[in-house]
Amino acid sequence: MMRKLALVLAIALMPAFGFGVYTYLGSLKTKAVRATAVKPVETKPKFALPGTMIVIQDGGLYKLSGGTFTELGKAGSWSQVAVSPDHTKLVAVSQNSLASELSLLGSDGHVIKQLTHDRVAILDANHWAFYPRISLDGKTVYYSFDQPKRGYQVDLAVWSMPLNGPQAQARRMTTPNDHTGGDVTPIPLSGGALLYVKYTLGATGIASQIWLQSRPLTAGTALTDLASDCNQPSLSPDGKQLAMICTSGKQSGRLVVAPFDGRRLGPMRTVLAGGLNAAPAWAPDGSGLAYLAPTGAGGHFQLWWLPFAVPAVSASPSGSATAPAGRLAPKQVTTDVDLTPTTPLVWY
Amino acid sequence: MQSDPNFSPMNPALTGTPPEAAIRRLRASRRRQWSTVLTVVLVLLGFLVSGAAGAVVYFWPVLMAGYQQTGQVSDIKAAASAVAQSPAAVPPAGAAFTVLLLGSDDDSKFPADHVLTQSMILVRVDPSARQVTMLSIPRDLWVPLSTGTTEKIDGAYSHGKAAAALATVEKNFHVHIDDYAWIGLKGLIKLIDQVGGVDLVVSNPVLDDFYPSDIDVRNPYGYTRVAVLPGAQHLDGMHALQYVRSRHNDLQSDFGRSYRQQQVLLALRAKASGLNPTDLPDLVSAVSGEFKTSMGLSRLRELLGIAQQVDFSRIRQIILTPPYTSSGQIPGHSALNPHWDLILPLVRQYFP
Repeated sequence: MMRKLALVLAIALMPAFGFGVYTYLGSLKTKAVRATAVKPVETKPKFALPGTMIVIQDGGLYKLSGGTFTELGKAGSWSQVAVSPDHTKLVAVSQNSLASELSLLGSDGHVIKQLTHDRVAILDANHWAFYPRISLDGKTVYYSFDQPKRGYQVDLAVWSMPLNGPQAQARRMTTPNDHTGGDVTPIPLSGGALLYVKYTLGATGIASQIWLQSRPLTAGTALTDLASDCNQPSLSPDGKQLAMICTSGKQSGRLVVAPFDGRRLGPMRTVLAGGLNAAPAWAPDGSGLAYLAPTGAGGHFQLWWLPFAVPAVSASPSGSATAPAGRLAPKQVTTDVDLTPTTPLVWY
Repeated sequence: MQSDPNFSPMNPALTGTPPEAAIRRLRASRRRQWSTVLTVVLVLLGFLVSGAAGAVVYFWPVLMAGYQQTGQVSDIKAAASAVAQSPAAVPPAGAAFTVLLLGSDDDSKFPADHVLTQSMILVRVDPSARQVTMLSIPRDLWVPLSTGTTEKIDGAYSHGKAAAALATVEKNFHVHIDDYAWIGLKGLIKLIDQVGGVDLVVSNPVLDDFYPSDIDVRNPYGYTRVAVLPGAQHLDGMHALQYVRSRHNDLQSDFGRSYRQQQVLLALRAKASGLNPTDLPDLVSAVSGEFKTSMGLSRLRELLGIAQQVDFSRIRQIILTPPYTSSGQIPGHSALNPHWDLILPLVRQYFP
């Protein structure tokens, strides 16, 4: 009787075993493929960076302060944010499939007004506005804008417009190279000068250079060579050092720091090699750099912090690098979020 | 008596039992033992079959794809006869081989399987040296097709499917192709999404006001705008396709696009190296109907193995920019003229 019962039980268990094998095989699938990012809440383990940072994830604006994220305003299609010098206002990009607009926001994320109006019915009459940056006096917003356009040619030029004025008062500041993608990531300097990234066709393809222009629509000068392919500049709070990402045409970006005297760069030094590093930003006290880089096979970009034990590079009057790095190892600040790497980090 | 150590059923003097009965009991006991053993074996076999059935069901999409979408050697044979050569024997495992990768429009603008190949990449894989060479063939290259006419090379597939594309490349580039793999645009999107997207450094802002809006739309002749911003990022299938397909605002035109296509292929390779065999059913389900290859499952397995071993820095990328090609105006067409005196030595060197 017991044997028959055991046999019946075994027969009943066979399909369950088959299903178990099926389920077990399914559990062996690569986890990274299914990795989904969580909404930013806290840094893990809780880690407080100095000051306040604004980051973007999945179209939402988040303020990071004291190791805690706070969502600003309503989630939407936000990307690329800039902050006014007094930290009371933000300018952010909202993008749909055909155009992107700049909007002026309060520090809590509520929309004060839309600055640009680029959405029209005719397809190629739409415009992209990206990379906003507010001037040091807080009166002007600089940004990349795809105007003028001719036929298939769509290149971004740096434009500026009064923060409180209409778009009709916008003025083009740079002349991009045709069919390269153009000029991006403006950083207004004192005295009307402008740092930005210019794309140019080189010997091995289109590459980027950090460019300096003293007056609108002048030729300007390249601060980096084309072969280094440097972009995503971030000026230190004292304005004396420039951090940037240099790829040298490869599929990885070095984090590079160079002294800057307002006219030229000093020797460039790699402070972090390799990896898909993006969006470097200086700490408000100049004590280190934050940047974004993916972790694991999931490809989600996390926030990293690279502290400097001593100033990374001290800019001597001659503009040469004098101090060794004395840096610490990078520390991963977030683990399971997915921050937008094409948005420069805002840190104040 | 049963506890007597001298007890034996074979000893009638002790048991008083006739020998026949003892033998019967012994046989019955042995039958019960065999029956138990047999039952246990059958039960184990049942579990084995059941487990195997579970595995077969799990890998069923792979088996079906292996049957329907791989090993399409008829194209290879047809290509060989078109260029008047006998199809070469399958290279032994571990030997170097050449694959032609084809990427096509597969939207409703074209009849099924009469599509243009927007991407043609010759890939030479040398497993022993762990070396991979990729050569992008410009889609606008003006060449005699294996089907008889002289046109842009991207039209070969539309005239005679993979066989014509293979024969045209073999004939013009004087290269032997062992296998091909074809993927449609939707297949590429799904494949990239299925591996969780690709991580790469976008070289420059890729902006296009006349990007084809032809996937899953009612009117496949429409356009849309795209903007892929520069820098390191994680691209899903749709954005990766925009990156590799856009060409209107690229100063390097199709050459820039060729570079981006190779870039995404390498990013896909990097993602594939993190996958394992249990990911295959989802992958093949994703590209079902959007992928065809002459490679058998064993060759695909070998290729995946190599993908995990090959060093990125040892992948050689070749794009036929000037002076290998020059722009030309053929009446009614804007095409690229091949300079075979430069191209063929290059092909001989890297695709022996």
